[in-house]
Amino acid sequence: MANFTPYTYFQCPCADSVLPTRNISSDSPSAASGTSDQDERTFDPRAPRSNYSLYPLEHLLYCEDCHQIRCPRCVLDEIVTHYCPNCLFEVPNSIVKSEGTRCTRSCFQCPICIAPLSVSAVEPQPEGHGVADTAHVGQYVLNCAYCLWSSKDIGVYFDKPNAISAQLARIKNGGGQVITPRDRRKDREGRTREASMGPSLDDDGVQEDDGPKLDPNEVLDPEGQFSNLKSFYQSQIAEASPTSALGFTGGDYGYGSPGALSRIMGIYTGGTFADKKVKSKKANFREARDALEGLQIVDLASDADAIKKLQENRWQGTTSLEQRAEQLSEAPFVSDLRPLAYVLRTKRSKRCKTCRHILSKPESKVQTTRFRIRLVALNYIPAITIRPLQPLAPTQRSLLTPRKAVQFLLTFKNPLFENVKVSIATPAHTPGRFKSKVTVLCPQFEVGANTDAWEEALREGGKGAGGEKRRTKAEAHEGQNQAEAGQVWEQGRNWVSVVVEVIPPSIRMDAPDFVKTEEHKNDEGPLREDEDVVEIPAFVRVEWEADAAQDDDTGNLASMREKDGREKRELAYWCVLGLGRIARE
Amino acid sequence: MSSKRHSTAPPPPKPPTQFSSTSSLIIADAASLIGTHLISLSSNTIIHPRTKLISTYAPITVGSNCILSERATIGLQSEPSEGLSQGVVIADYVVVEVGARVEAKSVGEGCIIEVNSKIGKGAVLGKHCKIGPMCVVAENEELADYTVVYGNGMQRVDRSGVEHLKFKMIARQVDVLRKLIPGNLPKFINRT
Repeated sequence: MANFTPYTYFQCPCADSVLPTRNISSDSPSAASGTSDQDERTFDPRAPRSNYSLYPLEHLLYCEDCHQIRCPRCVLDEIVTHYCPNCLFEVPNSIVKSEGTRCTRSCFQCPICIAPLSVSAVEPQPEGHGVADTAHVGQYVLNCAYCLWSSKDIGVYFDKPNAISAQLARIKNGGGQVITPRDRRKDREGRTREASMGPSLDDDGVQEDDGPKLDPNEVLDPEGQFSNLKSFYQSQIAEASPTSALGFTGGDYGYGSPGALSRIMGIYTGGTFADKKVKSKKANFREARDALEGLQIVDLASDADAIKKLQENRWQGTTSLEQRAEQLSEAPFVSDLRPLAYVLRTKRSKRCKTCRHILSKPESKVQTTRFRIRLVALNYIPAITIRPLQPLAPTQRSLLTPRKAVQFLLTFKNPLFENVKVSIATPAHTPGRFKSKVTVLCPQFEVGANTDAWEEALREGGKGAGGEKRRTKAEAHEGQNQAEAGQVWEQGRNWVSVVVEVIPPSIRMDAPDFVKTEEHKNDEGPLREDEDVVEIPAFVRVEWEADAAQDDDTGNLASMREKDGREKRELAYWCVLGLGRIARE
Repeated sequence: MSSKRHSTAPPPPKPPTQFSSTSSLIIADAASLIGTHLISLSSNTIIHPRTKLISTYAPITVGSNCILSERATIGLQSEPSEGLSQGVVIADYVVVEVGARVEAKSVGEGCIIEVNSKIGKGAVLGKHCKIGPMCVVAENEELADYTVVYGNGMQRVDRSGVEHLKFKMIARQVDVLRKLIPGNLPKFINRT
C-alpha cells in the first residue's frame, strides 16, 4: 500500500443551501424536522454529497464582502482573454467569434504525437549567391521535430513560411485546392442569376463567374457539405415563406435568427401569434439534389477503396483512437490526418455568485502571471497541517493500528494580521460504519497575529520571541510525550499546535456482533473504497477583531459593531481531517 | 574535485584500440574507454567528454562521422549471449545523444538515438531510425529501416526522404565540434 499523506479539506458553505430540497416530497412535519436537523447534524465526509463540497484550502477563494469561503462551484467565471498557448498571441474576441477557438496564425500540433510543428524549407536555404533563382512553388512544410512527421507525408506544401493557417485552409491532403466557402457562394450566386435571367444571358453569367467551376458530382468534405446544405435550405425557407414570423423578408434569417427562435419557443410554450401563420403556409420543401446543394450519395466503392488501402498500408497506415479524437473530421488513415491548430486557452476572472464582487482577476496581458485581484482563502482562514506526534521510524509502516490510541498534532497557522480565537469541535465518534474515537485535547485556543517576523524579534530585545513554546527533542524523549488536556502543545508567532487523540476501530468484517456499530449491523456489505481511512469531520470556528469596513451593516450577519471602529468577525466552517489508514488485521 | 581524491588503485588497463585515421578522429580527454576487447573508431567521429565506451564483454565498432555525446554509454554491460560476440557495431553518421545507453547488436546508418534512451542488448536498428528521448528498445528487438520510436513506445515509419540533408547537418555539426572539443587521441592509442 502506498504511503498515506494526511490531508485537510474544507467544506464550502454553498453546499448547505441546496441540501433540504430532498425532503420536499415527504410529508410536512418530517420535512420540517429534517431541515432543522441539517444545521445540527454532524457533517459526514463520506456522504455522497460531500464529494462536491470539499476542497483543499488552495482551491478556495474568500469573498470579503460576504465574509464567506467561495469554492469553484459558487463563483462565476468570466473570460478575460483568449490566447494561443504556443505563440502567446492574444486573440481578440471578435476573431474568436468568427474564426473559432483555435490559433489562426502558424501554430500547429503534430497530428501523430501532438508535439508543436515548425515550418521548414524543403530545400536547404542556398548559401551565398543564387538565392533568387531557387524560389519555386511549394517550398515549405510543417515539420515535427519529435516524431519526424511532416506535412510532406500528406502531400501538403506551403508557398510562404508565414500565415500557414490561411494557406492550409486552401490545401487538401495530397495538394488539391479546397474550394473556399467564398468560392462556393460566388458559384451559387452565379447559378441563381443564370436561372432567374434565363438562358438568353448565359454568356454574361459565365463572365462573372471567374471562380473554379463546381462539379455537381464532387465529393465534398464535411465543411463544404454543411455550407452547401445550409445555403440550400436557407434558400428553400426563403422561397417557402417570403415573410417570416416577425414580418422580415429574405433568406438571411435561418434557424439561428431571433424570429425563428421565438417561433420555436412558441411551439413549446403553446405560443400564439406566429404558429397559425406558419401552419397555414404549409411549406413545400424540395430536397437537395446534387453536391452543389449538399447531397452526398454514399459511394460503395469508397468502402472497397478503404479496404484496399487497409491491405496496402496495414496497421501502420491507420490512425489511433487518440489521433482520431483530435481531428476535426473523420480520419481513418494516416494520410487523412491534418495538422492541428492549437486550441486557445483563456485567462478567467472569478466573481462571487452572491454579491457579484470580483474575487480573482488576472492581468490581461498574456505574458504576465500576476493577478490584479486575488482573494484566496489561504490569506483569510487558518491553514491546518497534520503530523503524527510520535515520529514514525522509517522502517515502520505508516498505518494506524486498530484499537490503539494515536496522537496527531494539528498546527493552525494564522494568515491574518489580528489575533484569532479558534475553537474546534469534533464528534466523539466519526460517522460511518467504522467509528474512530476522537478527542481534541485543546479545543479552544488563540493564535497570534501574522505580524512581521523581525518586528517581534526586535521588540523582545533578543530575549527570544514571546509566547514561543517549543518542545525540544530531549523533552519529547523524557516522557514529556504525554499531552495535557486544555494545553496547547507548541506555539509560535502566528501558529499553534494542539494534540488530537484518535482510537481507530478495527475494520474486520467478520467481527462479533457486540463489537459492531449500528450502521455496520444494518449494512454488512464489503469494505468500500477508502473506508479504512480515518477521516474526522471538524467544525472550526474562527473569531477575530478587525477594522470595521465602511460599507458595513448590509447583509453582514457575522459582525457586531463595536465602539472604537473595531468589529468582531467570525467564520465557521466544517473541514475534514484525513489522518491515516487503518491497518488490516 | 578529482584532484583531491586520487584513487590509490592502479588505473584500469587500457583497452586495445584501432583508429582508422588519427587526424580527423576526436576523443576528448575526459572520455573513458575501458575494457579488454577491441574498440575501433573511424574517421571524423567525435567522442565527447565523459562518454563511456565499455568493451569489457565484447568489442565496439564505431563508423565514421558519428557523434557520441556526454554520459552516453556504449557497449555491452553484461556477458554476451550467443551470436553477440561481435559486440556493438555502430555504422556511419550515427548520433548518440546525452545519457543514452546503447547495447545494440548493430545500429544502422544515420540513426539518431535521443537523450536518455535505452537500446537493449542484441537489438538491431535499421538505417535512419530515430529513437525518441527516454524511449526504450527492448532486447533483441529488430527495427526496420526508417522506424521512428516515440512517446510511450509507439512506432511509425518515416518516409520523408531527407536523409541526405541529415547527413549534411551531421557533417556540419562534426566540423563545429571538432573545433570546440580538444581531442587527446594519443592517450587512448593502444595498439596490440
